[in-house]
Amino acid sequence: MDFPSSLRPTLFMAGPLGLSNVPDLSFMCSWRDALMLPESLPENSENGGPHMATQLLWEPETPGPLPLLPPGPDPWDPGVTAQDLLFRGGFTFRRKPRAVLDVTEQLSRFLWDHGDIAFAPLGKLMLENFKLEGARSRSKKKTVVSVKSLLQDLGGHQPWGCPWAFLSYRQRRFSILGGPVLGKSVASLLGELLHEELAVRWEQLLLDDAFTGGALAWVPGRTPQVGQLVYPAGGALDKLCFQEVSLTSSGAAQALRDPGHIQLRGPVRQVVTRTVQGETLLAVRSDYHCALWKVSKQGQPAPLPVLQVRKGATGISLSPHLPGELAVCSRSGAVCLWTPQDGLQQVYKDPETLVFCDHSSWRWADFTAHPRVLTVGDRTGVKIVDTQGPPGCGLLLFRGGAEASCQKGERVLLTQYLGACSPEPLHPTLHLICTQFSLYLVDERLPLVPMLKWNHELPSAPLWAQLLPPPRPGCPRPLLLGAQRGHLRLLHLTGEGASAPRLAGHPQSLPSSSDSLSAFPLLEPKSQWRLQERLKAPTIGLAATIPFPASEPVLSLFQLSAAGDIFHQRLRLQADPGATLHAPTASWTPQATAFCSRWLKALLKVPPPPPVWAAPTFSHRRLLGCMEQRTGEHKGPEGLRAAMAGGRLLQQRDLGPLPSAEPPPAPEPGPEDELSARLEAAWEGQMAAWWERQQGRSSGPSRPSKRHKRRTQLSSTFSSLSGRLDLSDAISPPHSPDRASPEAKSQPPVTPPSHESTQELWAQGVPSERQQTLRDYMAKLPLGGDSPRGVCSSLSQSPSLQATSSRSQTLQERTAELPPRRTTLRGAAVSSSQTSSLRATPSRQRASVPSGSQPQRKKPRMGF
Amino acid sequence: MSDFSEELIESKTEDDQEESYVFSGTGMSFPWLQNHIGTIATGGKKEKDFAQTTSACLSFIQEALLKHQWQQAAEYMHSYLQILEDSDSHKRQAAPEIIWKLGSEILFYHPKSNMETFNTFADRMKNIGVMNYLKVRFHINLYPVFHIEVKKPERNLFHSRNARYSEKANSHIVFLNFFRLFLGILQFLFFSKAPLELTLTDEDDYAYNAASQSMLNHSCKTSVNLGALIQTPGVWDPFVKSYVEMLEFYGDRDGAREVLTNYAYDEKFPSNPNAHVYLYNFLKREKAPREKLISVLKILYQIVPSHKLMLEFHSLLRKSEKEDHRKLGLEVLFGVLDFAGCTKNITAWKYLAKYLRQILMGNHLAWVQEEWNSRKNWWPDFHFSSFWAKNDWKEDKTLACEKALVAGILLGKGCRYFRFISKQDDEVLRKKIKRIKKSVENHSIVNPGL
Repeated sequence: MDFPSSLRPTLFMAGPLGLSNVPDLSFMCSWRDALMLPESLPENSENGGPHMATQLLWEPETPGPLPLLPPGPDPWDPGVTAQDLLFRGGFTFRRKPRAVLDVTEQLSRFLWDHGDIAFAPLGKLMLENFKLEGARSRSKKKTVVSVKSLLQDLGGHQPWGCPWAFLSYRQRRFSILGGPVLGKSVASLLGELLHEELAVRWEQLLLDDAFTGGALAWVPGRTPQVGQLVYPAGGALDKLCFQEVSLTSSGAAQALRDPGHIQLRGPVRQVVTRTVQGETLLAVRSDYHCALWKVSKQGQPAPLPVLQVRKGATGISLSPHLPGELAVCSRSGAVCLWTPQDGLQQVYKDPETLVFCDHSSWRWADFTAHPRVLTVGDRTGVKIVDTQGPPGCGLLLFRGGAEASCQKGERVLLTQYLGACSPEPLHPTLHLICTQFSLYLVDERLPLVPMLKWNHELPSAPLWAQLLPPPRPGCPRPLLLGAQRGHLRLLHLTGEGASAPRLAGHPQSLPSSSDSLSAFPLLEPKSQWRLQERLKAPTIGLAATIPFPASEPVLSLFQLSAAGDIFHQRLRLQADPGATLHAPTASWTPQATAFCSRWLKALLKVPPPPPVWAAPTFSHRRLLGCMEQRTGEHKGPEGLRAAMAGGRLLQQRDLGPLPSAEPPPAPEPGPEDELSARLEAAWEGQMAAWWERQQGRSSGPSRPSKRHKRRTQLSSTFSSLSGRLDLSDAISPPHSPDRASPEAKSQPPVTPPSHESTQELWAQGVPSERQQTLRDYMAKLPLGGDSPRGVCSSLSQSPSLQATSSRSQTLQERTAELPPRRTTLRGAAVSSSQTSSLRATPSRQRASVPSGSQPQRKKPRMGF
Repeated sequence: MSDFSEELIESKTEDDQEESYVFSGTGMSFPWLQNHIGTIATGGKKEKDFAQTTSACLSFIQEALLKHQWQQAAEYMHSYLQILEDSDSHKRQAAPEIIWKLGSEILFYHPKSNMETFNTFADRMKNIGVMNYLKVRFHINLYPVFHIEVKKPERNLFHSRNARYSEKANSHIVFLNFFRLFLGILQFLFFSKAPLELTLTDEDDYAYNAASQSMLNHSCKTSVNLGALIQTPGVWDPFVKSYVEMLEFYGDRDGAREVLTNYAYDEKFPSNPNAHVYLYNFLKREKAPREKLISVLKILYQIVPSHKLMLEFHSLLRKSEKEDHRKLGLEVLFGVLDFAGCTKNITAWKYLAKYLRQILMGNHLAWVQEEWNSRKNWWPDFHFSSFWAKNDWKEDKTLACEKALVAGILLGKGCRYFRFISKQDDEVLRKKIKRIKKSVENHSIVNPGL
């Protein structure tokens, strides 16, 4: 084996990460390579300057990869996103928004969804401190909270993490009262664990190392054009599939037959294949098991032993030298070598990380040019360990530190032995080491000093790499680097024999599956979104082959996505590597688009993933609504009782109006129509006229809206049963004792609605001695009466306004303290389904029935 | 992609960076963290339009580079220059360097670029930011070197007028040292080119004199600079090699030896096999005693047992009178053949076959067994499987014969490899195979007592 006769000049500095201030030349490999002095210079001059062999370009045949197989029958769920985990919105941080785990939201979701678990025991303890509906508190104790008003205050609007949550007096009181008990027990017990869990999830989102190495493998067949793809399928990725694929020189890859499969007991994380001395072996890593198969010439797998890894396996690799040898590493820090002769033997064990302390338990092991020497890697570095030597000793091959001018926070994500690639290896001693920033090539004969460093700038974690044989004799060898989010880089490595390895030409980025979106027909947004999600699914495996090594330099590339799809693309080495300014752009063929639409049809037939459990949306407004409803309905049982007592037939009028008697709001023209009418008018330049009309309509008695009527009705009811409001009689409409009678509905309102709402909003609840002052003040305001009304009328139609509406409602209700009926009606106006769902529970609310009819005390009572 | 600029200003705003980069608790930084946050962030300072367009432009340039669209990259670069007017001082300071890096990269590959455009570009760089001009000069100095324009050496490049800028760049002291070293290297490079030129121009006396004069001047500077360079831990192969050549040229053999010894044995340096190789080659040229050569190669053997010099080492050891040297000779051969890249090294197999016989005839069975014990559970599959027997026979019959002999000696007559080869009927090699069979009969270490 030749060692490069002269290496690139490098400064060598020992020290921790981020220490080196040394000019790092890795950003410009083209320049750095040129530092190969002086031997390489004459060569350069012969080839005429810097453009020798720098224009290597693999040209994709299609703008993006295409799915190879029809979508599987299992639905796919993209899982948690940053949006689910992080605090949305927030304060201005120093320079940039920062990732803050939103424990509050998760906690509040838990409290909402599993309130019974969180609060039931405490609630029971605190029962005496709550005044439930109907039971008017007899004590004047400050420690009794009215549940109803508390729920009203909460108002259904809870901003995320509630930094600006609106706190009412009552709420504050409640939180002071309940805080020490509720807050501490739930939050302290749960908060810490939750934070831990969220941190793990978030970390997993940033870097999921389970699939390091890749779960897709190409098992070569008898000819280079035919082979088998081995990959996991099924929702749980526990079905190991063997799909025979034939690669034709003209078109796309063809899946021959249905795939054979082996059902496993755990999810497949890594699939490795290797052909050593004519024997093809297949190793599979699951979370706690590793298995080995020998693949016969016909492609039939024959099982070999299964290894159990108690602490969880993180990496598996097959020996490129000796058939059947296998290295497995576990989270405990142990590395085991399995050989057919000696079985399993532990060759290394160190629970600590190699260079500095890192919490990650990820370990990796691979082979080296010496069949009995392994590399052992973790996040901080890579060590060479002689399995025959005394345990524990070894030599650091790569050190996360100043030696490789690593940045602060840089960690090893992948290490791979590159020497195994047949036919003749580049340098049989080369190792690839990838971090989140850079790619390093390290020669095991010169430890610690990387032979090559390149900043890959991948926007996700590089977890797969594959070195391919040269497409043409004498050509540089392609090295594929795949990242978790499907990003691909293709590098060309050259330098054999006595010259140091280097990059030939500028690295290239290859299309990823999300670039294929244009091949699919346009869909309606929901399906389009689904397709997009599917194409954006993280990659979990990568395999590539050069099917026609002799004739055509074509590269077939397969990518397995987490959704279970295999994408295939072909790249052709550009025939003329001469000076081209513009790289040619590929376009979709009709066959490709036809195939895509077929695939899409199949995808849309797959049922969408079942929703993750979600608590029934629960709004206390509805709850309150139902309380009101009940007061409306309480006539039923009463009437029944009366009818029974009188021994007569129960009649409709005994039951009061049916809830359906409330006409649904849908047919009446909504504000949208109003808006369009207004816009229309504005467009035609008749805005003033429209305004006139509008004014006339809203204020004039000619077409009073139903809402107004209802409100009038309501206020009549209020006054009928509450003397305490003490509104001046001039404003209140004539009392009607039978408040629910249909006649009342048709009664024209005496006062203009705007005026009345003013009363409702601003005057109610104000001590009577101050009402006149207030009224005078309100009269001075030009539009004071109208504006709140506008809000009220639009609230039922536009959900975006709900926040405002609920607040205004809160306001109303706080001051009036008798809003139940009104809320009911509004609730009914919002959606009739709500009413129906709430109608099922009248008996429970019975207790509160008397509250409405009971004589009220004069003084308005604020809350407690 | 947008982290490109982040990276550059890291030294200045490290704390800030850490905040936005590192997820607390793990210490690991994620370049893609900002993308994730970007999808949800509603708070925080909004980037200004200007910043948005420039960062978009930067990512377009990088994308174009990765797609080999040089022309497009150049066009984007044209627009990117607006960043020099950014109101954010961090960005403005980092900008010249990004422009320089990307610009030079584009010019390196752009088919229409030449020395002239490059020089113009470099000159412009002088105007846009002095802070980083030192680095720029550094690269400017490199350009002609790589583009073989040293035939008309622009000597002014090599003058240390850059020192002027160095004072301004106090923060980059380490870089400065590095830069000085490279300056020395560049001067040296000029030296290494000079002999080439001399051969071209040796007919012209005047030119010869002028050239040799300038060479002398440069060699003085070079030795000063290189002296400093070699003190700094690192890999300086090309320079050491040529420096030694230069010293030898001037007859300073002791100086050369010292340089090489320091380079090989200084513990602060990485264990560079080439350092030992250069020392060995130098000593060999000097006709140093065998003991000395063996001691140098012994260290190389410990670092790289698979080095091709190991066969030379073996020959040296074999000829040695000392018994432990001869034992080491066997170890070295086995060691070479342990490596995957050396399995087809016919010389090594030939040496091993010959040496095994020699050793066994010398009644040193224990040596062989000692070496064999650690290998007997994997060498048979690694070297002597039936797959290799067929393959080697097909590809290289001589190699197959040598291996068969070794296999026979180590594993006995019954081994697959030996049986396969001995069964082959080849007219040319019939005699040889017969000889092998005989040797195996006589020397096999399997059941020697029987």
